[in-house]
Amino acid sequence: MMKLSDITKVYGKGSLEVPVLHGIDLTIEDGEFVAIMGPSGSGKSTLMNIIGFLDYPSSGTYELNGEQIASAKENMLAKLRNEHVGFVFQQFFMFPRDNAIKNVASPLVYAGVSRRERTARAKSLLEKVGLGDRMKHLPNQLSGGQKQRVAIARALVNNPTILLADEPTGALDSNTSEQIMKLFTQLNEEGKTVIIVTHEEEIAAYAKRIITIKDGCITEDRRVSS
Amino acid sequence: MNIWDSFKIALSSIWNHKIRSILTMLGIIIGVAAVIIIVAIGQGTKKQMTDELFSTDKNAIDIYYEYIPPEGETDMFWEEPELTSEDIQTLAEVPGVKAVVATNQGWGMMTHDDEQGEMQITGVGAEFFRARDIQVVEGRALYAADNDGLNRVVLIDTIARGKFFKESENPIGAIIDLNDNPYKVVGVYESPLPEQFRNPETGEMLMPRTVISMMFGNREIEQLQVIASDPENISETGRLAADTLTADKGLENGQYSTNDFEDYERELNTMISLLTLLIGSIAGISLLVGGIGVMNIMLVSVTERTREIGLRKAIGATRRKILLQFLIESITLTSLGGLIGIGLAAVGSILVSEFSPITASVSPLIVLIGVSFSALIGIIFGLLPANKASKLSPIEALRYE
Repeated sequence: MMKLSDITKVYGKGSLEVPVLHGIDLTIEDGEFVAIMGPSGSGKSTLMNIIGFLDYPSSGTYELNGEQIASAKENMLAKLRNEHVGFVFQQFFMFPRDNAIKNVASPLVYAGVSRRERTARAKSLLEKVGLGDRMKHLPNQLSGGQKQRVAIARALVNNPTILLADEPTGALDSNTSEQIMKLFTQLNEEGKTVIIVTHEEEIAAYAKRIITIKDGCITEDRRVSS
Repeated sequence: MNIWDSFKIALSSIWNHKIRSILTMLGIIIGVAAVIIIVAIGQGTKKQMTDELFSTDKNAIDIYYEYIPPEGETDMFWEEPELTSEDIQTLAEVPGVKAVVATNQGWGMMTHDDEQGEMQITGVGAEFFRARDIQVVEGRALYAADNDGLNRVVLIDTIARGKFFKESENPIGAIIDLNDNPYKVVGVYESPLPEQFRNPETGEMLMPRTVISMMFGNREIEQLQVIASDPENISETGRLAADTLTADKGLENGQYSTNDFEDYERELNTMISLLTLLIGSIAGISLLVGGIGVMNIMLVSVTERTREIGLRKAIGATRRKILLQFLIESITLTSLGGLIGIGLAAVGSILVSEFSPITASVSPLIVLIGVSFSALIGIIFGLLPANKASKLSPIEALRYE
């Protein structure tokens, strides 16, 4: 369970201060499928970065499974990212010279998992996302949709509680987008907390809870009954 | 992530930018190769010069006359005092002196039957044979009486014997012609010259030095050498002998001196050390420049790989891991450069040894120092770029275009 209380984020200093988030209160239970929506500049990506331990809030508290982590040091944040969060980005972000297996296994390198174990886990996840026949391919030998599947497998490799996706279908055509979103839905049904940041209604429609942000404030938080 | 993983990432990164890596390493390669070759040549030269200067006649020391001009006068004409057999007797009685070698030199055209050739003549006394361990193979050595009586007798060396006399002919008692004057051959001695210095065209001969003085008009004793009974005390014995001679001759504007071997050795060592230091510092500057090159390319690499760093941080890499990765990359780069430099130095040393009289050899110690030093350069100049990489914010790094 994630509990954000009165989270603010201010970029810059002194007269150049730009407030991005104004006192966000948000609780996300384990196993939820949440879409965070909003126009560009609304602060939705900043909120996602804070939820995913990529950034510090300027003030407020953040509890993960009952533990307060708002004042955690950078090394602590790196550990939290490694253990609790799997990221999926719009631009995929692959290691261009590593094959699919190595890309998927990369977070395990920092978790100190043995090579044999890393390869085994990466292979089984690639099977799971439907890339069993593309394991030795380099990123530039894969299509956009396939790259995003590799990225999802990589996000899952540490067995995180939260799957965070920032515009995961932003660079994909509608057909591929649908496949990727079905994969997220499947993962959510298997118990993962999925949080997707998007500005597209069709993508948000897959989620069970849609949070809308505008000018750094939550303006709407509705649950979709399926 | 362990060191081995970082090392593999570093190697592949170097391999992926082959030309850039080679160019970056060049400074380190040249620096390390230069340092090692220069140290190798320096050591080789030192050893060779020491061997040449001090290995032969280690227990013999030259005594020479030194003119000291009186106060206020500088460039006056001066003459060396005459030395005689009595002075040699005085020197021979100095404690620690085993023998005294007093010689003078002459040069003459020798004729025997149809053979003619130039001869290098050394004027000696009876003591010469024992002091220099001259082996007389035919006939006899010179006696003291030959000098006292101005006997016109000579010993020829084995080279001259081969040139002027037939194998079957007995040279002893033969009258030879030297500068149109007759001399009697009384002996043949084994040429003490090492094989490579012998000139088959000319030979050498020994003659009483009084005879040389009389026939050629030079002084009876031109070179004076003292042989010490204990090689360890050669310098002290030489100095004592020189001082004794100075006192005995009652000299006012001059003195007898010796060359001090220890001074020579010290001077030589200082000179070589200084030279090594000088060229070594030039090589050091080359290493410094190379290090700056490494730092520069590492900074470029950090900028180029900003997104990779951001991604690594997003998937859980800590600052330390990123720092270590870039540090290992720069250490690998410089160590590789160091190794190539050592290889180059080894080849260079072989070439130097092959084509010059100097024996340059790359010692294992210098290889170890070379590698550690280049690794150290990697650490020093890799620290700043690695630190920069580790401090990147993951969000900004991922957003970097």
